[in-house]
Amino acid sequence: MEMSSILFYLLAAATLFFGFRTITVANPIFSALNLALTMITLAGIFFMLDAYFIAGVQLAVYAGAVMVLFVMVLMLFDLSGEARAFSRGMMSGILKVGGVSLFGIIVIATIMGSFSNILVIDSGEAAAGQALVQPTTRDLAVVLFSRYLLAFELLGLLLLVVAVGVVAVSRIKGGTHARD
Amino acid sequence: MPGIEHYLILSALLFGLGMVGVMVRKNVIVILMSIELMLNAVNLSFVAFSHFNADVKGQVMVFFVMTVAAAEAGVGLALAVAVYKKFKELNIRFFEQLRG
Repeated sequence: MEMSSILFYLLAAATLFFGFRTITVANPIFSALNLALTMITLAGIFFMLDAYFIAGVQLAVYAGAVMVLFVMVLMLFDLSGEARAFSRGMMSGILKVGGVSLFGIIVIATIMGSFSNILVIDSGEAAAGQALVQPTTRDLAVVLFSRYLLAFELLGLLLLVVAVGVVAVSRIKGGTHARD
Repeated sequence: MPGIEHYLILSALLFGLGMVGVMVRKNVIVILMSIELMLNAVNLSFVAFSHFNADVKGQVMVFFVMTVAAAEAGVGLALAVAVYKKFKELNIRFFEQLRG
């Protein structure tokens, strides 16, 4: 087996293991730490796919900022009464069975789809593997700041609106920083 | 050399884990984390398609998804903190009893 396959299977196994731990560990703090590890192994997979900028953003924004946000918020709560972490009951059981079977269908559909040639546009070229010229971070920047410039600016606007909204939520009556 | 189907299967498995997490867990914060897991799975399939088609547009999309996900986490956590401050409760079952 070649190097890249070994690396892929290692990273994939680690990602799935940490993802599984995220949803099964009862203590939310450990969930958050396992989620951070999932993000880091996913960044490794993005590196393998030559998406260096995306991998860097994944590490900085997800494994950095978003996880710090989660852990900070968890510290505000009293989590000593977290004995029953999982939902129970008939309806919930039906939902769980449905979710797992839907999940199986997605996996089976992906495996079936991988035998047809719909996944890559030019399968002849893609079969040659490295024959395709991979886009660099420079190409990403050129596309982002020309064709998708309006969307990029709208994202900035969205972040501004969210920042103002979050401050407003904390300042309302009964919020964490209420004025009264 | 792993092909695109390997990445897509990994992405589907990760998405399934996130979906099961949303349905099975009761803590609002863990549900938000499971949503992040699903968003990451979708990002992985975007990057895989981008790589195997040598098209940079997939990565632009991932960039947008990440920004919106960060915004969503911020608002979700702010609401969770506001609800906890008022009711001292983080259980998702409690939220169905809210009236006005």
